[in-house]
Amino acid sequence: MKRLFCGILVIVVLSIVLAAAFNFPLLRRFAAGEFREGFIDRREYAGIRFITLAETEDLFAQRTQGAEGLLFIDSRGDDDFAAGHIPGALSIPLGRVKRSGNTDTGTELTGTLEFPDAQTLIVYCEGGDCQTSIALAKIIHDKGYMDIRIFIGGWAEWSAAGLPEERSR
Amino acid sequence: MERGRSPGGEIAMIRHRWLLLLFRVIVGGVFIWAGALKIADPLGFAQSIKNYQVVPPGLAFLIAVVLPWVEVLSGAFLIIGVFKRSSALLISLLLIGFIGLVALALVRGIDTSCGCFGSFSRRADLSLILTDAVLLVFALCVFFARPLRRNH
Repeated sequence: MKRLFCGILVIVVLSIVLAAAFNFPLLRRFAAGEFREGFIDRREYAGIRFITLAETEDLFAQRTQGAEGLLFIDSRGDDDFAAGHIPGALSIPLGRVKRSGNTDTGTELTGTLEFPDAQTLIVYCEGGDCQTSIALAKIIHDKGYMDIRIFIGGWAEWSAAGLPEERSR
Repeated sequence: MERGRSPGGEIAMIRHRWLLLLFRVIVGGVFIWAGALKIADPLGFAQSIKNYQVVPPGLAFLIAVVLPWVEVLSGAFLIIGVFKRSSALLISLLLIGFIGLVALALVRGIDTSCGCFGSFSRRADLSLILTDAVLLVFALCVFFARPLRRNH
């Protein structure tokens, strides 16, 4: 019995030591406050950053005043999008992008992930702990877009703030 | 009489031992493979853990850094036979945890990739629970095998 738990202890301690040694630079970045909003490597995904509700509102206001090159992207499913979304947002459900294999090359949805008139893309999902916006942002980033903002508060924060909504039929 | 019984018993034991070795290689191999893929991409694994919506992000990060090493080491120890029973127990506990997590995700309706094999991961669903359950049976066989042999 004692030997059993000693063995487990050895494995766990050895794992912690190896993990700490192997991931030392990553752990230092974590200790410095990185990876708190999402597990995106800033160096790998230099074009992605997280924005707050206030920043999103500001971008939305710019867009309504006629600023060009801004595009809101909703990564939730069709039903959620139809029930309410940020006015003018484009619906790109992550599930469909993945199913079509759009993360690879040459697929039916490839056209959907090209935004010729947009320079700044604002991606959002449900909010809270939803992760689809991050996943979609990464896919879009891999397509070569370099200014992607993730509105982490998402739809929950937007609608709770009583901001403009749009519904599909 | 005794000579007649003994070879049969030995063959059963040898088969038993070969079977146990096979279980160890299968379970250990799966864990080494799964752990190595996660070691290669700790941030991706942290994201997978976060997707299950069970632990806060900070803890998800720390688990993502340490857990893959636990998997690789216990898998390797299980195969080479060092701390064999400890490894089998640890792997069993991990598998029970994984099954619980996936079941919880299914009940809560969280549609997520399991995160179990890095970028080779499939969806966290019922078939994944079954796979984990089979591995759990193998691991438990290894864990309970030795004391039984001692009693003979």
